[in-house]
Amino acid sequence: MSKGNGDGKVYVGNVDVAAKKARKLLLGKLKLGKLVDWGTAFSLWPVHLTTSCCGCEFAAAWSPRYDNEQHGALPWVGSRQTNMILIEGTVTRKMACALRVVWEQMPQPKFAIAMGACALDGGIFYNSYNIVRPWEVVPVDIYIPGCPPRPEAVARAIIELQRKIRREGLASKFVEEGWRPDKEYVKPKEDLCAWWKG
Amino acid sequence: MSIDELADMVRNLLAEYVVNVEVGKDLVHVEVKEENVIEAAKRMKEAGFDHVKDVTAIDYPKEGIIKIIYHLSSYSKKELSRYVVGLGYSIPRDKNSVPSLYGVWTSADFQEREVYEGFGIVFEGHPDLRPLLLAPTVAELKPLRKDFIVKEEPIFKK
Repeated sequence: MSKGNGDGKVYVGNVDVAAKKARKLLLGKLKLGKLVDWGTAFSLWPVHLTTSCCGCEFAAAWSPRYDNEQHGALPWVGSRQTNMILIEGTVTRKMACALRVVWEQMPQPKFAIAMGACALDGGIFYNSYNIVRPWEVVPVDIYIPGCPPRPEAVARAIIELQRKIRREGLASKFVEEGWRPDKEYVKPKEDLCAWWKG
Repeated sequence: MSIDELADMVRNLLAEYVVNVEVGKDLVHVEVKEENVIEAAKRMKEAGFDHVKDVTAIDYPKEGIIKIIYHLSSYSKKELSRYVVGLGYSIPRDKNSVPSLYGVWTSADFQEREVYEGFGIVFEGHPDLRPLLLAPTVAELKPLRKDFIVKEEPIFKK
């Protein structure tokens, strides 16, 4: 845009303030927040990051028999086009780096589901020297117990997450505030990618 | 070729290097000394054992030794491809460096790296000795040695 030199007008304004006003108008007066929550709840796209054996059940959950796409969730490969991560089982120390990188690449508002006994508290590897707990890496919304969980349990978790988003208004709160007020920002205690940097 | 013929063949092949030969079902295990292992490996390769199926190590803390075992077999010779021959040697537990057999069998590459990360044994002459599966901080603990204590947690925290 050219700077005003006589013939054109220049409008100067604070974009952040204008955006905040627009947000308050749309979400407060016009009650568009419910629409945002409804839209987000039925467009949960999980990223397919197979960290462990629960990935088989994850794949089966989207097969024709259990068809989770009917709930409005579709696995996608690119982490920058997804808004949900389904942690599929054990997270080893090396995979924790990949998990964190994928999580930080995903656009907001984003949600995490931890799947399987290993993702809850280690499972059969509870005292292994080579695993991390997923809740130390990303903030987890829903836990699915089971070793491995059935595809029905995955569907249940997605429906529970949809209910949670619509009940607590997670997506509209994100639009209003700019971050997720209900979850603390999880920062890993150690540098997960130290082995990779060398 | 029967298993006894194979054992005799290996015994004649590694004549002066052999310390002990054990014969099992479809498996012959030959024990040699550490300083002769490269020459023994070269002879085995010339006889037709063209690849390493597995490299592993066993820790014996009471005896104070670690046994390193190469499982050899063949793709090129049909009569040898039925069998697996174990070529092993033992080193004291506090000794950290052994000769690498990468120069003889290229397929020992990743498996020597796996022994390196589990037991902390350095294979001299290996071109790319890095931990394979574990992160370096975990590999420093030498987790596959018997004196590595695995943390035990109760089910319910007190």
